[in-house]
Amino acid sequence: MIQFSNVWKSYSRELFTASPAALQDISFSLQPGQTLGMIGANGAGKSTCIKLLMDFIRPDQGKIRLLGTTPNNYRVRNRIGYLPETANFPANLTALDMLRFTGDTCNMRAAAIRSAAEKWLCRLGLWEDRKRPLRNYSKGMQQRANFAIALLNEPELLILDEPMSGLDPIGRADILSLIGELKEQGKSILFCSHILEDVDRLVDKVLVLHKGRKLFEGPPRALATQQQRATFVEGYLSLVQEGVPND
Amino acid sequence: MIDTLKRISALARLVLLDGLRRHALMGLLLLAIAAQVGALFFFDFIPRDIGRASSDFILSVAWLVGFIFLFFHGVQAMALDEERKVIYSLLARPLSRGEYVLGLFSGIAALLLLLNFILSCLGIATLLLIKHLVKPVYFSQFGMASYFLSWFGIVAMELMLLAVIMLFSGLVRGNFPVLLISLSFYAICSGLPVVREALGQQAERAKGLTGLKTMLSWMTTVFPDFDRLDFKNMIASSAPLPDLSLILVNFGLTISFVGLFLWLACLVYQRRDLQ
Repeated sequence: MIQFSNVWKSYSRELFTASPAALQDISFSLQPGQTLGMIGANGAGKSTCIKLLMDFIRPDQGKIRLLGTTPNNYRVRNRIGYLPETANFPANLTALDMLRFTGDTCNMRAAAIRSAAEKWLCRLGLWEDRKRPLRNYSKGMQQRANFAIALLNEPELLILDEPMSGLDPIGRADILSLIGELKEQGKSILFCSHILEDVDRLVDKVLVLHKGRKLFEGPPRALATQQQRATFVEGYLSLVQEGVPND
Repeated sequence: MIDTLKRISALARLVLLDGLRRHALMGLLLLAIAAQVGALFFFDFIPRDIGRASSDFILSVAWLVGFIFLFFHGVQAMALDEERKVIYSLLARPLSRGEYVLGLFSGIAALLLLLNFILSCLGIATLLLIKHLVKPVYFSQFGMASYFLSWFGIVAMELMLLAVIMLFSGLVRGNFPVLLISLSFYAICSGLPVVREALGQQAERAKGLTGLKTMLSWMTTVFPDFDRLDFKNMIASSAPLPDLSLILVNFGLTISFVGLFLWLACLVYQRRDLQ
């Protein structure tokens, strides 16, 4: 599904300052049906990895394989559902406009777009607000609208950048159960989050990034065992405080 | 190819809908309509040649409105998509960067065409009313073909500027630098024919200036001569229309220019990081 091999990325320099590499020699993989949680503090490189996968930015070195091709093959995004960290839409559009755009670009038929839009808008509690401009949505509603857009074309792979961001406890629980359902359906999911309890609950495998370097890749329980701690959260904190790669 | 067009038109539809619901653009349209209706009062102050002055006024208002639209809406389109991270929501779909540029261009161009269509219909009604109100000696001629040719000229100039804005939006980050560079481009395009003419008169006296004159002529390939598309003086004149071949060449050059600049814009946008 996803294969990162020795990827390096640095952002362009500002005048007279050298910018440190955002990613240094990162390798990891995601197999079909797996759920991978990417965790790390701010500036760890999580969003950079996701931007590389979505071809918003390109690596300086290394190779990325995505669903049997490279991310710069834009057609591959027909099989991906992407949820950005902050939901931003053109100011005057409605959820229906965005869903229709998504369906059209994914080459879906009008009837299929209508039924899928109804299904996801009802599931995410947005059906009543479907004709309201998205700018009038609360942050949580925008996040749910983004979920509906990401899931419209029944993607095989979901890339979720902070899916619980801006959600109230009820909304968060709902999204967690939705991710659980999608996992049970056999979808491959890559997501990053700051909420370690959510990661522990959902993922098969965790990738710990710190200042652009990979510190750990494996099941959450293995991290706790490796760090000789009782829980995954304690194991993560211990690993980051050490701040050194395990390999 | 059909799938590509479908994706481009899906984005163009989104841009069009967003534009149609923007209060600022509705305000601009109302202002333009008010200014065109103002021509009915304006002609009363003109002692002679009312037809020419009124048609000049109507077309100048249209050009000004198109100019404001381009430099306050068109310039922002791509830069704001990046600043507000809307671009991530759009390019998360199977849409290539080139298709994004073409979709954005098509959507803004559709808004521009709609704006010009409304203003041209209103303009023709205003001019016919003025013609009806004044004595024939003040407004003897009204060429319908010249009128529509003038509108085509305005739309062609606006589309050229829009293609240039698309290219600069890909090259530079932020809407203010794009605005400045695009305005400079327009200023050079407007100033170049004047400089060329002034130099042409001097070149007859001083042979040394011929090289500079040739260079200025070549600069027209990058900075198009908008005078070639300005037909508004012909609306109320009895002079015949220019040769069809000349009109076709001018509009053909416009299409080539727009095509070339859009191709470059796609090429540039394809290569850049969306940080």
